Amino acid sequence: MSEIKPLLEVKDLCISFRKGGGRKLPVVDAANLSLNRRKAVGIVGESGSGKTMLCRALIGTLPRHGAGIVSGTVRFDGQELAGAPERVWRGIRGREIGYIPQSSLAGLNPVLTVETQLVESITAAGSLSRQQARQEAVALLEQVQIPRAQQVLQARSHQLSGGMRQRVMIAAAIAQAPKLLIADEPTTALDVTIQREILSLITQLRQELNMALILVSHDLAVIEESCDDVMVMYAGASVEAGPVAALSNAPRHPYTRALRVSRVDRAAPGQDLEAIPGDAASVGSWPAGCRFWPRCALADEDCRRDPQPALMPAAQQLSACIHAERLSELEQ
Amino acid sequence: MMTASPGSLADRTLRLLRHPVLRRLAQAFFVAFLLMVFAFLLIRLIPGDPAMILLGDEATEEDVIAYRKLLGIDGSIPSQFGRYVSNLARGDFGVSIRSREQVLSIVQKRLPISLWLTVTTIFMTVLLALPLGVAAALYRRTWFGHAFQIGASVLVATPVFFSGLVLILLFAVQANLAPIAGYHAGFPANLYYLWLPALTINFVLVPVLARILQSSIVETSSEEFVEAAIIRGTQGWRFYWRYLLRPSLAPTIAALGYFAATVVSYAVIIEIIFNLPGIGMTLVDAVRNRDYPLVQGIVFLSGLLVVGLTFMADLVNGWLDPRAKIR
Repeated sequence: MSEIKPLLEVKDLCISFRKGGGRKLPVVDAANLSLNRRKAVGIVGESGSGKTMLCRALIGTLPRHGAGIVSGTVRFDGQELAGAPERVWRGIRGREIGYIPQSSLAGLNPVLTVETQLVESITAAGSLSRQQARQEAVALLEQVQIPRAQQVLQARSHQLSGGMRQRVMIAAAIAQAPKLLIADEPTTALDVTIQREILSLITQLRQELNMALILVSHDLAVIEESCDDVMVMYAGASVEAGPVAALSNAPRHPYTRALRVSRVDRAAPGQDLEAIPGDAASVGSWPAGCRFWPRCALADEDCRRDPQPALMPAAQQLSACIHAERLSELEQ
Repeated sequence: MMTASPGSLADRTLRLLRHPVLRRLAQAFFVAFLLMVFAFLLIRLIPGDPAMILLGDEATEEDVIAYRKLLGIDGSIPSQFGRYVSNLARGDFGVSIRSREQVLSIVQKRLPISLWLTVTTIFMTVLLALPLGVAAALYRRTWFGHAFQIGASVLVATPVFFSGLVLILLFAVQANLAPIAGYHAGFPANLYYLWLPALTINFVLVPVLARILQSSIVETSSEEFVEAAIIRGTQGWRFYWRYLLRPSLAPTIAALGYFAATVVSYAVIIEIIFNLPGIGMTLVDAVRNRDYPLVQGIVFLSGLLVVGLTFMADLVNGWLDPRAKIR
């Protein structure tokens, strides 16, 4: 059997903010991600770990935020996207990669109707007539399970609930049936009951449209439910990656383990939650060596030395921890 | 056959009365009323009255009192006001004390010139400020953005009587592209006389308006819906018009309505510099002569015009930006 080429492969990606006077502030370094067609990968990490910047690199909007790719590669469907010019991105955005932005409650233009914005996404690809595009828009809204699609089409952002707006954003993202859908914390701004509906909608659409999915969340439980693989980020670096089951049953990085044991849904009633000691390393003040060592029980002299290795095979997954095999010590 | 009625007649009337456009219209009427009161009071606050000015220093007290009666400005302030309002209600603005001409006919003769000046000015403002503001927003980090910032500050700080004279020297005296002064009625020939005065006023208006537009575009461009549109693949004119310009226009249009009002006051200076026989020049003369009816008429009528213009700016805004409508 020949090796399957992944749809998306991110290798050792480094992203920096450009500060005045040519100085740079790194926000992502050593991000690694591999995703096959029709598969779903979750990216998990605390805020400030670089998840959103990584996603922006995948859709080419880093410069808008004063950031840029410093090194590394982003191969998508046989095409190199790192450092690609706007012309290339125009063919990618919406068509090849759909994107549901973070807290997209403000993602709709308040002065335009839903119809105008959806039709725009639909007609961007081909030469549909206005009437056909309208019918297509109704079909899209029905696909994202919006009742009374005709009415919603005429509505503006402020007339819709948060859940509705998010469904419209999803409809716009899948309008051109992209090969890859990126959902950057698609449920953070919504209430809990709606979160579940939105997540199952995304999973359903992924199967209907044969899309690959990148789901970003700070909640491991969300990712375990809807993804095949998971990639854990800490302080701008990928620290562990592999199948969801492997990471949740036998993590090979102390940070992944800490994320797992600090989960509310895994704790026994009456038992205190185990919090991760210390504060998350913030951008601009990453420690030398492994970024997690100040908070890690396994840390020794070797951990504080630069350079640290990128992801290495460990059991069924990849881990960046040099003490991956000693992780069982933590269980005592 | 029964049709579903959405509430009783009284309910429907009440809902209609709460309609934002009607509410705004009611406000406009209230402002017009205040304007009428101010027009009446302000001119009477200035020491000296038309009788004293017309008769000169040597006139006796009796002569002045008799002359006041003749001019119809005798009696207490409230009784004068009563007469003024009841005449206004009949559409009678009175007669100019100086020229014995109907106030309304003077305004009808002079206002069109100032109106043409206003329209030309605002038209030029939009034509110049729109592209300038957009360019200043898109290229704000380049040399153009910095040059715009400095240039705008310098122009705003330059008084119109100075820039007006410089422009006359440049375009009328040197280049011979405009007359030095004067006016001839009739469109489009009058534009030849108006473009230079309009440009002078625009030296102040365009930088301010372009800056307002620039900062609201910059603000809009950091909105999430803008990035969302880029990510969806929206591009070209659709992107610039629908996602950058249209959501940013509200402050600019509100300012434009207000600017139309300020042009009327700039007109006073500009009409003197360019010797345009408009309402501004007439007003200055009328104040100097304490021509009560004429001052009242001009202030009230040109004020009404301003109220109308701002009302129109609000309507345009409501149409362009539904957020403005629900407020």
